[in-house]
Amino acid sequence: MRIGLDVGGTHTDAVLMDGSQVIAGVKATTTEDVTSGIEAALSSLLQGYSPSKVDLLTIGTTQFTNAVVERKQLSKVAAVRVCLPAGRGLMPRADWPQDLTEATDGGSYLIHGGHLYNGRPLSELRERELSELTQALSDTQPAAVVISCAFSPTQPEQEDQLTARLAESLPGVRVCASHDMGGLGLIERENASILNASLLDFADRVANALVESSKAFGLQCPVYVSQNDGTLIDLERVRQFPALTFASGPTNSIRGAWALTGLADAIVIDVGGTTSDIGVLKNGFPRQSNLVIDVGGARTNFRMPDVIAIGLGGGSLIGPDGRSFGPQSVARNLRQKALCFGGSEMTLTDVAISQGRLAIHDASQSKPVEAEVCHAVDSLIVKKLAAAVDLMKPGGALLPVILVGGGALLIPGDTLAGCPIVRPDNADVANAIGASIAQVSGEAEGLRVAGADSREIVIKKLTGIASERAVTAGASSATIKIVNVEEVDIPYMATETSLIRVSVVGDLARSEGASS
Amino acid sequence: MLLHEIYPMKITASDIDDLSLGAVFLATGGGGDPYLPTLIAKETLAQTGGVTLIEAQSLNDDAFVVPVGCVGAPTVSLELLPSVDETSKVLDRYEELVGRRLTAVASFEIGGGNSLMPLMAAAARGLPVVDGDGMGRAFPEAQMMSYAIAGVKPTPAMAIDYAGNTAVFETSDTTTYEYHIRAFAAAAGGMITVAEHPMFGAQIKASVIPSTVSFSIKLGRLLREQRGPIDDVLPALRSLFAKSVYGSVHKIFAGKVSSKTTRTVGGYDMGDLSIEDFDDPQRVCSITIKNEYLVATVNEQPLAMVPDLIIIVDAETSTPINAERLHYGQRVAVIAVGAPSFYQTAEALAATEPRCFGIDMAYEALDTLLSGKP
Repeated sequence: MRIGLDVGGTHTDAVLMDGSQVIAGVKATTTEDVTSGIEAALSSLLQGYSPSKVDLLTIGTTQFTNAVVERKQLSKVAAVRVCLPAGRGLMPRADWPQDLTEATDGGSYLIHGGHLYNGRPLSELRERELSELTQALSDTQPAAVVISCAFSPTQPEQEDQLTARLAESLPGVRVCASHDMGGLGLIERENASILNASLLDFADRVANALVESSKAFGLQCPVYVSQNDGTLIDLERVRQFPALTFASGPTNSIRGAWALTGLADAIVIDVGGTTSDIGVLKNGFPRQSNLVIDVGGARTNFRMPDVIAIGLGGGSLIGPDGRSFGPQSVARNLRQKALCFGGSEMTLTDVAISQGRLAIHDASQSKPVEAEVCHAVDSLIVKKLAAAVDLMKPGGALLPVILVGGGALLIPGDTLAGCPIVRPDNADVANAIGASIAQVSGEAEGLRVAGADSREIVIKKLTGIASERAVTAGASSATIKIVNVEEVDIPYMATETSLIRVSVVGDLARSEGASS
Repeated sequence: MLLHEIYPMKITASDIDDLSLGAVFLATGGGGDPYLPTLIAKETLAQTGGVTLIEAQSLNDDAFVVPVGCVGAPTVSLELLPSVDETSKVLDRYEELVGRRLTAVASFEIGGGNSLMPLMAAAARGLPVVDGDGMGRAFPEAQMMSYAIAGVKPTPAMAIDYAGNTAVFETSDTTTYEYHIRAFAAAAGGMITVAEHPMFGAQIKASVIPSTVSFSIKLGRLLREQRGPIDDVLPALRSLFAKSVYGSVHKIFAGKVSSKTTRTVGGYDMGDLSIEDFDDPQRVCSITIKNEYLVATVNEQPLAMVPDLIIIVDAETSTPINAERLHYGQRVAVIAVGAPSFYQTAEALAATEPRCFGIDMAYEALDTLLSGKP
């Protein structure tokens, strides 16, 4: 058996799974310290079950995203950009919000080096610059150092050498290579690496707490954490790459919808207390966004699921005559403020109860919403969701729409924008189920210049690198398969050039292989 | 009627976000992501205290002006970052080459990131910038520039790469120049800064599309302050354009993007876009893309074509959307704006009408195509 946990803003959900069967599911309240909420969920989940039967604990958590958003728990990071003589005068963190810069600033340095798009050196490294840099870092002692070389995603060797060299001369300082954190886009990759590096100390504390909690419950199984692409990383990797968990919330609901229905290609709507997140399942994984992702005010190129949020949830407030609702919501105070709990606010939950779609055992039926208002609200729900589904469905294809989340019953009807609605069992704990899926991934990207290597050779080479990464992350090599090959043409070049990205996924080698 | 600007006008770092948003609108779908140029332009103007914008007509006939900008693949500059001093260095080297001091700097292209390059170069050198550009929008090739159309030679031209290496070009015509400069860009890391089409005051007065820099700032400010559904923004947009070198503004279509196909051919993004009418899905607007939006037709009837400007905006926010950012399902409005009168002449149309982009269609003016329609 295995346990899936999902720490959200309001609820900490937990499920006990046997293969693809949900044995038990609980919802606890998320606490300020996170740990006590996790322990409360585990304690109620494990009632009647022996911890020794559990062979895997997986956790989706928003702690690291929140740390960046709230500027808490962050350490000082030095940014070393290796790009001169290009990029003169443009410093790291140039357009960050002041408070995020202050919370993470351990110095910024530009030095000569890096590569060009065609693999030629941009400039040679300069020994004198390197020794001055080492001296400066040794004097200032930041908690971590990030090295970003121009074109390091396609030419990683120089970045790796510099990282090793600085790590050797700076004992006690964590030194990180930017190509471990993202693809092309130097500033975005550097930003992502700085954010990640600023979380390393906090990641150690979180990982230690998770180990402590699982021990306290007698769990002897390995602990994994779910990452942005819907696969797992072990605690050692969390200690190195905490930022890979930033989007695990929406990712886990989308993966959970896949696990609950077996539908590999679908639209997923996760209806919560204040918003609905609409995402897309492609090949069993969340479709990734190609846009630049803003994290706490910094521009990054994290690969995150392509999700849009609209103000539609159980606590959404209804306007006069039902002509409008949201984005204002009573959120966590539903049980104090909604009509059905004796409050004075009319919410989408009240409409769903009046329409007979939703039954809450301790809710009152004494103040039903007028039929006309219910009708107006329901058609508005359908209209808003249909527009969002339309926006997300790929190229107009009619895909099934899977409804998950605690508010799934708020949505009336059988179709949206012509797509059939699917309502799986256990939809309310889909995110915890998503967190429990035992798969790991690997990714690699590179440029292909026409006339050099053929497309097939480049893809083969990248697949090899991605597979190695997946195996390092814990995948059993026999189960590895390609889930995505993306090719983007680069315009305005005399020689046709394209960027190719390969993603692979495999089952976790030590688990029961319960992926599907 | 042209709004009378008060020159010289000061541009500072705080104007750059508006200028860059206005430039995305005027880029008619092309011009690349303005993020990096915006960032370094703000940095340069903050360091130098700003730049002075002057009217072309105020230049003496023997004043010496050169336009500057970048040529290459915007995607490459994601790693090969531009330098704050690269554009000013090309001016230094250009003056050495021709043995003359520059009076002012000019712009090739107001659409996209190239709108910002001349400001940085001029600010670093303490030179003024001419308010205006050589396109009034974005175009993919040098021979489509008003300077080239008016007979200004592209050379002597100088290109400089990230490391300060330079190349000098002397070519017989602009088409050859365009071909050679692309080859140098590819060899020099994918992105270069160039100074080309040098002009005397008399020449730039006759060939510049005037006031487009100050106009782009006002346009960006309007789009930022009035951000909202296109039908609410349209009246303000119309009155702003009425006081500019551009023709009239029309919302020619509103609907949902129903398909988009693009491929890269010969260094260009080529593609087709279909938009379905919100109310009548049978009514479809098709747009031909070659880096920029070139021709808009509705059920085979042309409604707008290059060199008139075709802009796609988000229907809810009126924010302009670049061709590479458009995708299925987006709710958009198609806006058409009459090209400046310079581009309505026979000489200009011969270089910029749909045929010049391989589209078998003779140019018809926006007002003619839309006459009798609301």
